[in-house]
Amino acid sequence: MANDSIWKRLISSLDPRHYNIERWSYTLHRITGVVLILFLIAHMVEIFHISLGPESWAATLALLGRLGPLENIGLWIIAGCVFYHGANGLRLLLNQVFGLLLGKPRMPVYPYTPTSLGKNQRIAIWTITAVVSGIWIWAGLYILAGLGIV
Amino acid sequence: MNGSDEIILRVRRFDGTREWWQSYQIGLTGVTSVLDLLNKVREEKDHTLAFRQSCHMGTCGSCGMVINGKPRLACQTNISELDAGVVNVEPMHNSPVIKDLVVGLDSLIENHKKVKPYIIRGKKEEIFYAPREFEVTQEGTTQFLQFDYCIMCNLCISACPTVTIDPLFLGPQALGQAFRYLADPRDEGWAERLELVDDDHGIWRCHFAGACSYVCPKDVDPAKAIQLMKKELLKKRLLIRRGKKGAEITEPLQPHFTEEKLTAAPPLDFKRGD
Repeated sequence: MANDSIWKRLISSLDPRHYNIERWSYTLHRITGVVLILFLIAHMVEIFHISLGPESWAATLALLGRLGPLENIGLWIIAGCVFYHGANGLRLLLNQVFGLLLGKPRMPVYPYTPTSLGKNQRIAIWTITAVVSGIWIWAGLYILAGLGIV
Repeated sequence: MNGSDEIILRVRRFDGTREWWQSYQIGLTGVTSVLDLLNKVREEKDHTLAFRQSCHMGTCGSCGMVINGKPRLACQTNISELDAGVVNVEPMHNSPVIKDLVVGLDSLIENHKKVKPYIIRGKKEEIFYAPREFEVTQEGTTQFLQFDYCIMCNLCISACPTVTIDPLFLGPQALGQAFRYLADPRDEGWAERLELVDDDHGIWRCHFAGACSYVCPKDVDPAKAIQLMKKELLKKRLLIRRGKKGAEITEPLQPHFTEEKLTAAPPLDFKRGD
């Protein structure tokens, strides 16, 4: 509700239950975007240590090395975020800049099925999901093989 | 519903100071929609339950509420389609609650006004003293008619995740109506209206979750309107398009009905000639 706290409203805005697949996609896009921003900040802090000298950089690498396989798993999650955010971003560009996949204005005919959430949009979303999942699994195997797990 | 003769209705109530969920067990005799159910509660169980209603046929847009997690019109939501033994009813999200299921619609009205929801013409006298109608083709009508069916029920605003985060966002209703007039062949306020929506809390806050179109009971499809308007706005920013010439006022359709011809015409003779 409008009188709820900002945190409650934020969580509510990311809750896609009872809604359309585009809203699920929206939630995933927001979450992956936030993860990527946090990663970029962390990455900038990491590489900033190069400017502090070889000892500082070595200490940073040692700190990351202490994470063990968690570092690789973290990178795998980041890779998934990059793939999804990028691919879904392309779909949103087609929608928002070029007005594609939305259908044309038309006379409403019952039962109402909005064309902007129609077949074209579904195909695009499921294609993105399939392609991103495939690449992500491949990336996972690559990373896990590097760890000697697979 | 599960074939039972009774159903449990849970209503999220508010009395100005506190919120709570209240349950009612109601017989289903004579009940089709959720609005029927609410009326039955008010008639038989609790007179203090507050909700809006008017036409009972999905035209006035008064009975919007969140039913089992999704914003819907209570009069158009059949109990059978919910397929649940418990019906949860809450006031619409993203609007201040006044009492029980009644929410304040001030921001809906204010945002609607902000986008100038009327035909703008270069010459104002063409609106107020137009001698004839504007020339609009069937194709021209199709460009805006879908968006004209908005009944201002507030469901799209209740569903919009951007309004949840940014209460100052113009919202899908107002933006949808901005496009309705933008697409109208009679309108000449193309640049003026695009300026209005190109704002920090305007059109670019929409990230196309599509929830507005998903819950719209009239197929207005605000999400489509907003994305198509973004395309128009980009054309304006890139100077691909600078304005829009509105439809012309029609020429007299039947010249033999002009003032001069009627004056010059011989008086009517009702006698049947030989």
